[in-house]
Amino acid sequence: MSEEIGPLQKFLRGRGMRKLRRDRMALAALSVIGLYLLIALSVMAGVLDNADVFDRVGPDNVAGFWGTQDGERRLDHHQLRIERVERAAKTTDPTKSLAEFRLGGLRASAGTPEEVLGRVEEAWRALDAVAAYDELDVSPEVGPLFEELDAKVAALYEEPAGFAGFVQSLRMSLGTDRQGRSILFRALYSTKVAVQIGVVASLISVLLGTLLGAAAGYFGGWVDHAVVWLYSTFSSIPWIVLLMVLAAMFRGGALDGTLIPVYAAFCMSFWISPCRVVRGEVMKLKELEYVQAASAIGFGRVRILLKHVVPNTAHLMFINFSLLFIGAIKAEVILSFLGLGVKNEPSWGVMINQAKAEVLNGFFWQIGTATALMVVLVLAFNILSDALQDAFDPKHV
Amino acid sequence: MSATATEPILQVRNLSTCFKTDLGVVTAVDDVSFDLHAGETLGIVGESGCGKTVTSKSIMRLLPSHLSFQKPESQVLFGGQNLCTASEEEMRRVRGDKIAMIFQEPMTSLNPVFKIGWQLDEALRYHTDLDRAGRRARAVEMLRLVEMPEPERRVDEYPHQLSGGMRQRVMIAMALCCEPDILIADEPTTALDVTIQAQILDLMNGLKEKLDTAIVLITHDLGVVAQVCDRVMVMYAGRVIESAGVHEVFHSPRHPYTQALLESIPKSGAREHGKRLPTIPGIVPSLTELPHGCRFQDRCAYKEERCVESEPALETSGGRSHRCHFPLGGER
Amino acid sequence: MWTYVARKLLYNIPVYLGIILFLMLALRVNDPAYAFLGKNAKPEDLLAIRAQLGLDQPFFMQYLEVLSFDFSIESWANKGLKVSDMLRASIVPSLSITLPALFLTSIISVSIAIISAYFRGRGVDRSLMVLAVVGMSVSFLVYIIFGQYWGAYLLTREGGIDAFAIGGFEPGLTHWRYYCLLPVLISVIVSMGYDTRFYRSVMVEESSRDYITTAVAKGAGKRKVMFVHMLKNAMIPIITRIMTTLPFLIMGSLLLEVYFNIPGMGRVLYKAIQEQDFPVIQSFVVIFAAFFILSNILTDVLYALVDPRVRLS
Repeated sequence: MSEEIGPLQKFLRGRGMRKLRRDRMALAALSVIGLYLLIALSVMAGVLDNADVFDRVGPDNVAGFWGTQDGERRLDHHQLRIERVERAAKTTDPTKSLAEFRLGGLRASAGTPEEVLGRVEEAWRALDAVAAYDELDVSPEVGPLFEELDAKVAALYEEPAGFAGFVQSLRMSLGTDRQGRSILFRALYSTKVAVQIGVVASLISVLLGTLLGAAAGYFGGWVDHAVVWLYSTFSSIPWIVLLMVLAAMFRGGALDGTLIPVYAAFCMSFWISPCRVVRGEVMKLKELEYVQAASAIGFGRVRILLKHVVPNTAHLMFINFSLLFIGAIKAEVILSFLGLGVKNEPSWGVMINQAKAEVLNGFFWQIGTATALMVVLVLAFNILSDALQDAFDPKHV
Repeated sequence: MSATATEPILQVRNLSTCFKTDLGVVTAVDDVSFDLHAGETLGIVGESGCGKTVTSKSIMRLLPSHLSFQKPESQVLFGGQNLCTASEEEMRRVRGDKIAMIFQEPMTSLNPVFKIGWQLDEALRYHTDLDRAGRRARAVEMLRLVEMPEPERRVDEYPHQLSGGMRQRVMIAMALCCEPDILIADEPTTALDVTIQAQILDLMNGLKEKLDTAIVLITHDLGVVAQVCDRVMVMYAGRVIESAGVHEVFHSPRHPYTQALLESIPKSGAREHGKRLPTIPGIVPSLTELPHGCRFQDRCAYKEERCVESEPALETSGGRSHRCHFPLGGER
Repeated sequence: MWTYVARKLLYNIPVYLGIILFLMLALRVNDPAYAFLGKNAKPEDLLAIRAQLGLDQPFFMQYLEVLSFDFSIESWANKGLKVSDMLRASIVPSLSITLPALFLTSIISVSIAIISAYFRGRGVDRSLMVLAVVGMSVSFLVYIIFGQYWGAYLLTREGGIDAFAIGGFEPGLTHWRYYCLLPVLISVIVSMGYDTRFYRSVMVEESSRDYITTAVAKGAGKRKVMFVHMLKNAMIPIITRIMTTLPFLIMGSLLLEVYFNIPGMGRVLYKAIQEQDFPVIQSFVVIFAAFFILSNILTDVLYALVDPRVRLS
């Protein structure tokens, strides 16, 4: 009699896993997912500090590392930079303010408040010189004047060196949003939010759906009828309508503003798909001989269910988790649009929504970054779920 | 039995069909050769997976072209052409018209969303010049020929409205409506119960006499072979291991596998009562893990060293062949 | 077949009752009167507004009232406007998006799927499928934002072609292209990835069936096999799928309506939720649910008509 290996080991050694391991696209997708997971975990561990995510690090809508911006905007940016230093130099304790001054990773340049104000004056004059022209991008005389302005404003700041300098260039590499916050760092933070939502929502939905589906399929009778009625009911409500109803429910209550309504909305609609699939599979498995054999030997029904039937639906759980994860991330964006999503933190949905107005001004950095990061993760999961289905469920449609 | 003509109508030479799989290229049919004469019934026998279906589908080029291919030395000579290298156009003209095929599962082999009449009509449309009325008449005639009750009514019905036996009759009617030279029947009675099986076999025999069609009958059931075949070809793990006339195979098999197959046919009678049902120990080797030497060695009662060293070649003498270093001689 | 249809109809009744029950309970978790009038509402106002909708009656009475589909109740946020009027006004804009989207999406996706399945494994197929997967990975909202930017904004401003409105709606066929075509196109592009992949795999699966081998054995050419034998069988799950995407198109058009300012049912519901306009919320939600159930039943009936195995039983 061969030694009994647990269902997990059987699964890992089985044909499905072997097939999966040979699939290069799947492995690539898994590495990408792993990378995102790493980012999410680092953010949770505190790699980014709050200032980087929530505070202003530069002027509004600064462009990223390539391309130039139009004259009007450059002018606005310089104006803000000058104003900021000026404000710090004019407080009741200017020396202290200037010493503590930060704009992202930049500090105010050294010198007494009087010296700083002197440079500020020069900067203003340079700015006025440029502002006198109407066609900033066209007139040839503006060029050298702009360079003069760039220099005068630069003189107000002290660029960090070494590692801090590297971080600063990173900070500004993908530009800033409408409130001057670092797009790159906010996008990285959003990774954590996305992973969090995806994992929690999908995990709960898959577990709930699998248990209900397995019970329905295995026990049949009234259990089955109840579960089928339940999911028919919920699946007849358009997900968005369900969401909005939940929003109405939670509004003003204690949970408003947290992610709980978001999770509730997801789980209420997402449990249906795994439930259906697992129920169908369990109904098929029930008729298989080894299950009937186990029953004939006298194993209790619950034991058969948990030990023999459910492990054979494990592959379905993985596939569904993967698919629901995608659903959660994409849904989060829509939730943000409808004002029902994440509220106190940046997320890709929040970023894309804020980017709406920016796009009309030709500024694509925020929407581009958030979308790119999201697309790569979702694509990886799509490839992974395809690979999982090819490996474990070749007759899938 | 019809008289065999001197020239074979089908000559298969060195047919090898390979499949591209996850585990590499697998040769499912390995160097198979045989002749088929007009009016003759050739039985191809073997366990599941021995390559009999792949052989027949290779002749008709029905295998998916992105997953399988024939080795260049393969030749299927028919009507002056090598079907292995013929164009798809030419194959379409041969299929259904000169060579027809019926399959094992009548339940799934008919298109569920088209009426029987339409499906019969289709073959006639491709290969004849009959007009619509003519085709319908012919369809009804064919159904009558295959002893389908109420053929005029059946013509307007859907496959799911017929029983398994009736569906197989329809398949036969479809296959024979253009009077092909060869009918390939892949386990036509396996999915049917025994009484229907007998009817279908009788039907096939009768049709063969009437239309002088050559039949390639693929089966794992030696009882069927005994009833209808003139010659028998036994396959194992992709190879032909014995080929002879039906009487020779049954009375004096040369290959141990053939003998074992014959012995495993359940027999009735007082002498047999209480005896254990003989089986062939072991299982067919996986095509990706073939043993060195004879492919049957692990299950053979007469295995010797030489069997492991080298695979026997197919030896032909006196109209029969066998692939064994130590062929069985004499009567059973 | 009619027993089949009757069975489906009967089965959906308890489902519908369940939906209404759940929705009504959910909407009453927060007192609707308070929610609308705010925390500092005067008691008389609360009583008045409750009485208006019968919220002071026992739940069972309210349940029956809702089931009676009486939409002559008045909106809270828009004094004097009956829900039935709002419904009537918003149906046409919604349908102007949903129906053309359904039609176009189905035709385009099925066609692309046929091309993919015909050239299965070759370059065309592979590239189409890659495009589909990438397309599926982009958020709906991103498509809307870029669609509006390029289609309405840029095209008008830089290209001088005012082909699509940035938002708004006017009824009438002559205005359809200007207000609705862009949202419809966006809706099509969003669903294309999913639909094409699904239809293609249905076709691929059908192509591997036994009856296809039979057809080839009879001498049928590839085109005949694909377009006659395979397609007719594939259409059964495909049509079913098309019908089941209808509810999702409703969701999609909700987003489009909100974004493009089209006064359809989705946008009415959205605004009602923001304003906590209870009668509208409850009524519209009930209508959406009814619509869903109806489309489910319609799908089942269509399925019965198309599959001879069901039709003739």
